[in-house]
Amino acid sequence: MTLLDVRNLRVTFDTETGPVEAVRGVSFSLGRERLGIVGESGSGKTMTGRAVLRLIRPPGRIEADAMLFDGQDLMRASDREMRALRGKRIGMVMQDPKYSLNPVMTVGDQLTEGLRRRDGLGRRDAEAKALAALEAVQIRDPQRVMEAFPHELSGGMGQRVMIAMMLIPEPDLLIADEPTSALDVTVQAEVLSILDRLVRERGMGLIFISHDLRLVARFCDRVLVMYKGKVVEELEARHLLEAKHPYTRGLLDCLPRIGGPRGPLPALDRSGAWAQ
Amino acid sequence: MSLIEIDHVSVTFRAKGREVRAVEDVSFSVDEGESFGLVGESGSGKSTILRAICGMAPVTAGTIRIGGKALPSPRGSGFATQVQMVFQDPYASLHPRHTIDRTLSEPLAIHGLRDSDARVVQALQDVGLPPGFRFRYPHQLSGGQRQRVAIARALMLQPRILLLDEPTSALDASVQAEVLNLLSRLREERGLTFLMVSHDLAVIDHMCDRILVMQHGRAVEQMRREDLAQARMTTPYARSLFDASADRMLG
Ligand SMILES: Nc1ncnc2c1ncn2[C@@H]1O[C@H](COP(=O)(O)OP(=O)(O)OP(=O)(O)O)[C@@H](O)[C@H]1O
Ligand SMILES: Nc1ncnc2c1ncn2[C@@H]1O[C@H](COP(=O)(O)OP(=O)(O)OP(=O)(O)O)[C@@H](O)[C@H]1O
Ligand SMILES: [Mg+2]
Ligand SMILES: [Mg+2]
Repeated sequence: MTLLDVRNLRVTFDTETGPVEAVRGVSFSLGRERLGIVGESGSGKTMTGRAVLRLIRPPGRIEADAMLFDGQDLMRASDREMRALRGKRIGMVMQDPKYSLNPVMTVGDQLTEGLRRRDGLGRRDAEAKALAALEAVQIRDPQRVMEAFPHELSGGMGQRVMIAMMLIPEPDLLIADEPTSALDVTVQAEVLSILDRLVRERGMGLIFISHDLRLVARFCDRVLVMYKGKVVEELEARHLLEAKHPYTRGLLDCLPRIGGPRGPLPALDRSGAWAQ
Repeated sequence: MSLIEIDHVSVTFRAKGREVRAVEDVSFSVDEGESFGLVGESGSGKSTILRAICGMAPVTAGTIRIGGKALPSPRGSGFATQVQMVFQDPYASLHPRHTIDRTLSEPLAIHGLRDSDARVVQALQDVGLPPGFRFRYPHQLSGGQRQRVAIARALMLQPRILLLDEPTSALDASVQAEVLNLLSRLREERGLTFLMVSHDLAVIDHMCDRILVMQHGRAVEQMRREDLAQARMTTPYARSLFDASADRMLG
């Protein structure tokens, strides 16, 4: 069943030095599954995710032939309709968690705000729910973290707070932009298993943007590989590490390995036809 | 000789009458020209140790020495030409209303260095960004592009020591390879000393000679690079990190 259908998405920034085409005709559809988006830095992964939520600030603009979420045309939705979807039915874990959290509000207030205002929960119930969400993402001392401000958190704690915040409203679609890049491998495994359960048991759709090709290969169902604003390859995640496309291959070959040689890592060869 | 000595250091934050013991009695030393890695649990105090070296965290016990001398508080103006840090959070560490050009040339101006234009262009080139990016603002860059600017800025003053907090976790494989190659080359050419944090054991293995594993504010186990690749760790925590990194092994 299709949850999200995106056809020919374009994101363009009109800058003083001319238009920057961040996304150039991306199409994909998402069911209740884990869709990975990989690709080099600046290839348009974040802008693709933000465009789905229509979170592109001017001078950026979004164009698409269609962008349907659960049957609703996001391109035609009013600002009010978009605000109602954001956070509640479509969540996004931002790439810069500390920047996305409110710096002058405690973590607890930020986590309970929506529960109290939108879901009408009392303070006690909202706090209990927030504490449980922090515990689920392996925060060691959730009570202290509830009272902390974002600058008092480590990088990975900020990331986990952001994930907890997005999961509390139980969205139907979660766009997670590098959600685990600041987590150690054991905490990362716990967080991924939460996301995995939500997809399998609750039927959430997940767009998982990541640079970590090995992680995506292990965790996702399908992968889009992006280059310069376009999808150059779409494949099953379990075949990602054996990808044949020279760009995907090139990215894989750049990775260091435990016990591997110390010399310079191979660089991506951009002379191929795919790069034109 | 040890260039950086972390000698029984503890860091305790006080927030709302609550004590947060971020680092508890941690000791290690980094030789001149060495690359030393910090790995471990999220929230275990890795960034705090780097910040403590820069005088940006409340050290409540122990001593930090560079070149055998305890560091003065505040750190003084010479510190910046000796030690530079690349922060974990590239967005928060760049001034949102300064162009990249200003971000990169400001340290030069403060330290009275000339040839600012040429140096800025060279620095961008060193981290693989086109010269036109000088006139952009941080919000006009992708996450990885911002991190490259942060690395370029740290290199502007040609420090002896680089403190690198997750320098490549925001970068794709190809830019990561370029940045790691750049860092290795600079270390060789300029005899730099690195203290770096990463969650990716493959990156740590590629870059570091020795490694300290941390958990919950404490040093758990120190090992050499060879011991990591051969799985010769002795503590269960270090072993669990290694086991969870099986997809990063050679072959
Ligand atoms: N406000 C802006 N003005 C001009 N160009 C922009 C703006 N915002 C983003 N861009 C450009 O759009 C392109 C795509 O950016 P995006 O953030 O989607 O990349 P990304 O794939 O998420 O990269 P990363 O992995 O580094 O986060 C980049 O080249 C970036 O420089
Ligand atoms: N300014 C502060 N005030 C209060 N507590 C703080 C402050 N800065 C850090 N802490 C706490 O210190 C502990 C260690 O944080 P630190 O940032 O050093 O962790 P880390 O090992 O770098 O983790 P990560 O891998 O997630 O970045 C955390 O519990 C954090 O909440
Ligand atoms: Mg991005
Ligand atoms: Mg940190």
